[in-house]
Amino acid sequence: MGAATILSAASTLALALMCVAFFLTAWRVIRGPTLPDRIVALDMLVAIAIGFIAVIAIRTGFNLYIDIAIALGLVGFLATVAFARFVLSHGMADEGEEPAASPARPARGKGRRKGRVR
Amino acid sequence: MLDIVLALIVAVMLVSGGIFVFLAALGIVRLPDVYTRMHAASKAGTVGSGLMLFAAGIHALDIAIFMRAFAGFVFFVLTAPVAAHLLARAAHKAGYRLARVSAVDEMRDAERRDAKKR
Amino acid sequence: MRPAVTVALFALVWLAVSGSFTIPNLLLGLAAGALSLWLIRGHIRPDGRRFRPLKVLSLAVLFIKELALSAWKVAVLVASPKMALKPGIFAFPLTVDRDFEITLLANLITLTPGTLSVDVSEDRKVLYVHALDCSDPAGARRDIANGFERKIMEAFR
Repeated sequence: MGAATILSAASTLALALMCVAFFLTAWRVIRGPTLPDRIVALDMLVAIAIGFIAVIAIRTGFNLYIDIAIALGLVGFLATVAFARFVLSHGMADEGEEPAASPARPARGKGRRKGRVR
Repeated sequence: MLDIVLALIVAVMLVSGGIFVFLAALGIVRLPDVYTRMHAASKAGTVGSGLMLFAAGIHALDIAIFMRAFAGFVFFVLTAPVAAHLLARAAHKAGYRLARVSAVDEMRDAERRDAKKR
Repeated sequence: MRPAVTVALFALVWLAVSGSFTIPNLLLGLAAGALSLWLIRGHIRPDGRRFRPLKVLSLAVLFIKELALSAWKVAVLVASPKMALKPGIFAFPLTVDRDFEITLLANLITLTPGTLSVDVSEDRKVLYVHALDCSDPAGARRDIANGFERKIMEAFR
């Protein structure tokens, strides 16, 4: 068994695992049920994409892919931070269907938000 | 001989990274609320894709590329908790509640106390 | 840390990331580091913080160990057919008071098995931590105070 065989088998297995992970996470993005859930799932999708790129870099031997992975990580982090700011300023509007929230809670949230927004 | 050992190391890192990413995605689907899902994404997900990036760096057998991959790995590990923390804070402040199974929420209790005082 | 040390550190990171160890590249890294430090000059205050490299290294080792352990714990929890969950948010009274130390502690807590820091109270006295297993908040508080917080105090005071 040569080194190339081991690597090829391992990277195929890793690709298969990540493919399943990708679909599971995509299901969470579609399903929701709340905006932060989707953001967490999108963040996870970026992590999976980084994994994909790393495996592709190993399979093709094209090391420039590592730089692409690092750049993607930077962008993903900034996107998550921006989304967090958005959740903070946007509050729980449009989340009427959220099952865990009691009817009294969103109203209270809105009242507090008024005081917080500058 | 040496290349077989190296290939084995890279293969083990790839497969364990793939398993971590897969379990993180499974966690995102199975866990009950945003906060618990964040645990899965920010820990298992980061470790998984970080391991794969690290494997790509080792596979290249070039100190410059390895340093780059290592810097990327450190960057992911440092930014993942920050992103999770920001998102958790934003979600909690916006009023998203913990799942029903949760035991305590001392942060909400403190907010209620503050609200009463004012 | 002195600005010169910070700039030198930035230049080293730049060399590592750009991957070419040449004199012109080092100069470029130094220039970029100085420029980025100059851009945020209004936001950094010099403070008489002591810095012990060995203790910082041991903190870094702890960081990596805890990250591996916590990823493993979460993975095992998720993979078990019946998840034993009792999540909740508990309050942790802070002893460390500087921004830098609170940030570090919050990051370390996020990487500990089953805990994730959510918020710091406005007076910087309480850190709110989300835990996957919140059946024993008192024990969790004790663990953090005796583990990470003490390590941080040892490394930077």
